[in-house]
Order: sequence, then C-alpha cells, then structure tokens
Amino acid sequence: MFSEYHLNGIFDEMFEAAGEPRGHYRSVYTRLAALSNDAFQRRRRMADLSFKNQGITFTVYSDTTGVEKIFPFDLIPRIVPSNEWETIEKGLSQRLMALNAFCRDVYHEQRILREKIIPAELIYSAKMFRREMLGLQVPRDIYIHICGTDLIRDKTGQYLVLEDNGRTPSGVSYVLENRAVMKRVFPVLFGAYRVRGIEDYPHNLLHCLQNVAPQAREDPTVVILTPGIYNSAYFEHSFLARQMGVELVEGRDLIVDNNSVYMRTVAGLRKVDVIYRRVDDDFLDPLTFRPDSSLGVPGLMNAYRCGNVALVNAVGTGVADDKAIYPYVPDMIRFYLNEEPILNNVPTYICSRESDRKYVLEHLHELVVKSTNESGGYGMLMGHQSTSAERAKFAEMIKKDPRNFIAQPIVELSQHPSLIDDRFEGRRIDLRPYLLSFGDKVVVMPGGLTRVALRRGSLVVNSSQGGGSKDTWVLEEDGESPPLLQPELVPEGVTV
Amino acid sequence: MTQSQMMNGQDRGVTGVVNRPMLSRVADAMYWMSRYVERAEHISRILVETSSLLTDIGDLAPALRREYWRDVLRVLGLDSGEVAEELLKGTDEEVAFRICNFMTFEPDNPSSLLGCLTLARENARSVRENISAEMWENLNTLYWSLRGDEAQARYDESAQELYRQVLLGTRLFAGLTDQTLAHGQGWLFTQIGKSLERLDLVCRTIAARSMLLLNADMAIDSDERNIHWMSLLRNCGSLEAYRRIHVGDMEPESVVAFLVLERRFPQSIRYCVHHAHDAAVRVRAEIDPHTTDQAVRILGRLNTQLEYADVGEIERIGLIAYLGQIRAATTDAAEALRNSYFLH
Repeated sequence: MFSEYHLNGIFDEMFEAAGEPRGHYRSVYTRLAALSNDAFQRRRRMADLSFKNQGITFTVYSDTTGVEKIFPFDLIPRIVPSNEWETIEKGLSQRLMALNAFCRDVYHEQRILREKIIPAELIYSAKMFRREMLGLQVPRDIYIHICGTDLIRDKTGQYLVLEDNGRTPSGVSYVLENRAVMKRVFPVLFGAYRVRGIEDYPHNLLHCLQNVAPQAREDPTVVILTPGIYNSAYFEHSFLARQMGVELVEGRDLIVDNNSVYMRTVAGLRKVDVIYRRVDDDFLDPLTFRPDSSLGVPGLMNAYRCGNVALVNAVGTGVADDKAIYPYVPDMIRFYLNEEPILNNVPTYICSRESDRKYVLEHLHELVVKSTNESGGYGMLMGHQSTSAERAKFAEMIKKDPRNFIAQPIVELSQHPSLIDDRFEGRRIDLRPYLLSFGDKVVVMPGGLTRVALRRGSLVVNSSQGGGSKDTWVLEEDGESPPLLQPELVPEGVTV
Repeated sequence: MTQSQMMNGQDRGVTGVVNRPMLSRVADAMYWMSRYVERAEHISRILVETSSLLTDIGDLAPALRREYWRDVLRVLGLDSGEVAEELLKGTDEEVAFRICNFMTFEPDNPSSLLGCLTLARENARSVRENISAEMWENLNTLYWSLRGDEAQARYDESAQELYRQVLLGTRLFAGLTDQTLAHGQGWLFTQIGKSLERLDLVCRTIAARSMLLLNADMAIDSDERNIHWMSLLRNCGSLEAYRRIHVGDMEPESVVAFLVLERRFPQSIRYCVHHAHDAAVRVRAEIDPHTTDQAVRILGRLNTQLEYADVGEIERIGLIAYLGQIRAATTDAAEALRNSYFLH
C-alpha cells in the first residue's frame, strides 16, 4: 500500500528518503506494509463505528440545519521521539509563562508598552482587548490556564509556533478518544512501543481548575459552562465534565445573587467557585458584553470582579491571541523571562506597519494572509492558490483596515502518510499540544492533537475545512523502534 | 431565596460521601429521556401486535381492521383532525401501510418511533455526563438504527423485525439504567418518568380498546372476543404473566383487574403508581429529609386508592371514568414534580 507513496519534496515525518523509514517509525512501517487493504479497511470501519456509536461527533452548520459528523480519524499514528518532545515541552512552557506575564502586565502596569517593546496602539486596537479587565485581580495571576498551541514543521523539520490559542482551545477530547480507539484497534503495535500516557489529563485539568478557587476553599465546586448541545464542541464539554465528575452547566443553570454565582439544583441554589467556561468573552455576561447574549449569566462579571468566582480562561486573554501581537511573543519571552525563545515563530508581516504592508501588497501571490481575529481557517487568503480576483479583494480589505491583517510566507507543512481510499498518501499535518498553567509551573500533555489536511494538496487542517486527526505517540525514550512480537489479531465481525 | 436555600458547598450523607443535589435542568432531562424511551417501547409493541393480530383474524373481522388502526392513533391522542382523516383513507392495506410509516419515521410526528427516540437522545445528549456510557451508547445506537441509510431498507424488508429490535433496544436501555447507573437522584427521576409514562399509556390503551369493543360488541361473536382481549394484554406486554395467574380465563373483568390492580406485575397500573410514589418519596428524602411535597401527596393518595380498590369499585364508577381519574392524578403529579424540582 506504500507502493505509490510520494515524498513531494517536503519534510516527511515517516520517511528519510523514498522507501527508507526513520528509525522510530520502522515498526509501524513494517506492520502497515504487511497489512492487506482488507485488514486495514476492517480496522477503519471498526474505528468509525466506535466513534459513531459513542456519539463522538461535532456539528457542522452548512445551512440552517446542523449535521453531526464524526471527526475523520486517520489510523496511522504520528510518532514523536523523546528528544524532540523535550525541546517542544520546554519551548511551550516558556512561551506560556511569558504569555501569562504579558496578560498580567497589559491589564496592570503595562511595562511592556511603556518601554515601547510593543506599540501601545496595537494593544488598544486589538478586538479582544478588554478594558473591563484593567486593574482586575485574577486568582494567582493566571490568565491562560489552558492553552492549545499550534505547531508546524517547515521543510527542514524545524518546529515552529503557528499560533497560541489562549482563549478556549478545543480538541483535547479527540486526543483522548483517539488514543482509546487506537489501543483497541492496534493493541499489539501500541504495546510494542513505549508510548507516554495521556490519560491523566482530566485529573490534571481538575487540579488546574481547583487551583484558582477563590479564598482557597476546600473542596471547591467546579463547573463547565457550555453554550449547549447545539455548539459544535458540545461533545468535548460533556466529555470533560464526565471525565472530571463535575457539573456541565448552561447559562440558564446559573444565577448571580449578591455578587456570588449559584447553580439551580433540585434542592435550590448551590454556590459555584470555579467556572471553566467554553463560552466566548462576548457572550459571558449580557450586562457587561453583548446585551443580546442568552448564553451567559447576567452579573457574572461583577461576581468575577469581587473575586467570588474564578473564570477559566480569564476574560481578555484574546489580546495575547491576536495575530498582530503574535509576532511579539519572542520579545515577550526576552522581556519577562530574560531568556531566548526555544521555539521560533513563523516570520510575520504586520499590515499596520507601512513597510510590511507595502511588501505584502506586492507579494500577495506568495503569502498567506490572515485576519487577526478569525480562527478555524476562516478569513484566510492562500496566495499561491488564489485567483487574481481574490487577491484584489484582499488587497482592498488590507488597505481599508490594515490593523486587521497579517501575512506570512507559505510554510510547506510537513507531511505524514494517511490512508486515502485503498493506499497511503502523504498529507499535511500540524500538532496542537495542550498546556495547563499552575502559575509557577506548566504541565504539558505528552502528545496532542495531530490534525491532517485530508484534501490532497491542502494546507488547511481545520475540522471545519475537511481536516481529520491522528493519534500522536510521544515515546518514553529514544532509540530504534521495537521489534514486533506477534501478529495483530482482530477477528472479523468483532465490534469495538 | 431563603437562607436554607443558599447553603454553601455541598451536603455530606451518612457515609461521608458528598451528596450533590443535581441541576434542575438535568433532572428534567433525565425524566423526559426516560419517558420518551418508554413511549417508544409501547409504540413499537402496539405496532407489532396490531399487525400480527390483523394477520391472524383479519378475515374474520373485516369491519374491525380500520378500527384497530384508528386505535393505534387513539392511544397517542392522534385519532382526530385532518392528519388522522388522511391516514385512514383508502383500502385497508393502504391504511396499514400509511399508519405504520407515520408511526415509525414521520419527522413531523413527535410520537413516531423516530420522533420519540430523537427526543430521548437529545435529552440524553444534554446530560451525558450524568448517565452511564453504556446507556448513552445503547440509546445512540438505537437512534442510528432508525436514522441510518439502511433503516428504510430494513423496514421495507420486515417492519416487524425492525419493531422487535426497537423493543429489544428500549428494554436493554431500561436494564442498563438499572444496572449501570447509581441509584441516586438521577436514577430516581428516570424511574418516575418511566412509571408515569407507562401507567398513562396503559390507561390510554385499555380505554381505547374497551371503547372499540363496546361499540363493536354486536359485530363480534363471543368466540372471537377472547382474541381481542388477549391482544389488549399483548399490547401492554402482559399476556404471559396474565395467563400464569388466570389460567384459562379471558373474562374482560379479569383482564381489566389484572392490568389495573395487579400488585406484582411491572406493567400494571398499580405497580407503576407504587413505583413512582416510592421513587418520589426517595427523591424527597435525598434532597430535603423529613418533608414532603405535592407530587408525593398525589401519588401517595392514588397508591392507597389502588391498594384497596376492587373490581366492583371500577364497575360502579365505570371503567372509562375510573381510568380518567387515574390519568388526571398522574398529570397533576407530573405538574407538581415540575414545580418542585425542575423550575428552580
């Protein structure tokens, strides 16, 4: 099934050269090469059915009706050797420490603006900058408790940070479910590798949430706030609530009284201490933000301001997530931590800078243009795949509102074999590891969500744009991959 | 808001284990999830039994064929109005075909099997963290077995088989609910929902059938009557249990007494009332011991009434009126439950 595999002249995760797998992929390669197409398809059906029956789905809104889809799962695991992971882990922790210091600074002393390391107008013009947060004391000075940083690899295999998702990153439930399915579908292969476990994530997440409970309350009440069952990430909200054993609440389940937050239970009102909210800032509190929001809780911001409830992530972290502020993260690391960045950024042109803008407008065909506040692969121009009409439209938009755009050279993302119909083909991937901040330390889940652009030639991995995902194996120690002991036996007709 | 309502933190039960009161919305969804699954079970059973009864006796009682299909609609309160008239037009075969379709897949009919299971699943989905993985997977699989591409093909091949699978799936759900969910507040609300739904449907089914037989009494000779009362027991999933107690006796009075007053059989009205009352008392004890509420009062009274009732009493009041009283009390109990627990 590898016979027609092409390396496409970019970095390939599995192969050093045609037909030559890298050391840590050798067992996987041997195993996959020996499997017949039938055997592989059977495993694929097992995995798909398992996702469907368990309702592990996300909702895609095309017209007015939402369609539940399973997140396409690609059975071939991505493997990260331990020495590579060590660098990633250090680099990500460093970055999150700096981002939290930055949020704290921007909403208090603003040293980084006064010392002119970041232009003040860039901050004040950021859509996600929340004036309401100025001077507000958040528990333990943690703003971004949960972070899902997107990493990509360039042509040389160097890991680069594409964006820091410091608002409400999603996808971690798929990481955990992918692993569970993988263990069932390829038990022997999985057992042969020493893969670092990820199953303690919900436990760590609960500790991370309890860590910021107001007044260090013993046995604090933690809840997850969801927009409801029609939200595209509802499965994940419910999944995390189940894994942690906490209540999943909707806005209508909560009420603010005398600046404290309560939930409506069958026995009356019960106090809530920590809210892991999966509702955007804008919809959190109709009295402070969008008045038309029915997803939030009136008065929540007052309770937050009084220190009676903790919100995770804090309000206003989007300022660190702004794509025009992202280019300054290496400077933040130097400024707050006095360290050199371990992981590099993708070079970025900020359209509000005149020289950058001039360059961008002249080189649109070879750049990726992104709107600074969109996510999910929306509001993007892929220069090399665009028509001249699209480029003209973006040029117009950039001139009209330069603050809202950045541009980056097209990074040739690394590729990884994917099962496409009845054979393996290279498809572009990225990696989203999940980080938890405890203030003085950061816990990085070993692995993360490897997203795959399943459309041929596509560089966009978002699930809303036809992306899928893989299990990601971080190895315990380095060295050649292990030999296989016994063949993988999954009897026909067995459902998993 | 009184001071006692605003208790801080959580209560600890006698075992020292945290006894968290559940969210009102969650209690509401668990109750309805359970009701819709029970409704789907009853509907699939009626569809199976009606089709097979008409295969057996269709030729003997041609006048009754259409009435039997009207009966299916009547049990769910769908027997009047334009939709019902449309469904009951044409030849007997057309009517059977149309009503089966309407009760199985019709998206505009919330009482179709697909409609019930969609609502059950939506409720389950909104409280997934409060039910077991087994319950969710079972209900989700059941839903997809009616929603998937193959569902229509399987139905065309054998509707009976499809109904039997739904029956099996809903019973499995009830079993999983008992065996994989802690018998705490959430489970108690599923029990109340299941019992109230079942007793309401059994009341409706008896009333519909006895009206049909009353009106058609002249047209049926006495040998055939047995078949019709047996089919009522079948519709309520009670034939085998009945036979073991009333050997060789198919008198209408005995059948009615069994369905209404039998103490030991889970499909009977009295059993359901007892079970619902018991669950309501235990919910109250978990949430606010040493107090009572309106739902407990209503169900307690009804329970006592049925405990001391006999067939003579039903005859004096009249079967239809008697069932009407029970249904009215059930509706009141459901309303009281809503006010006490779901509307905080």
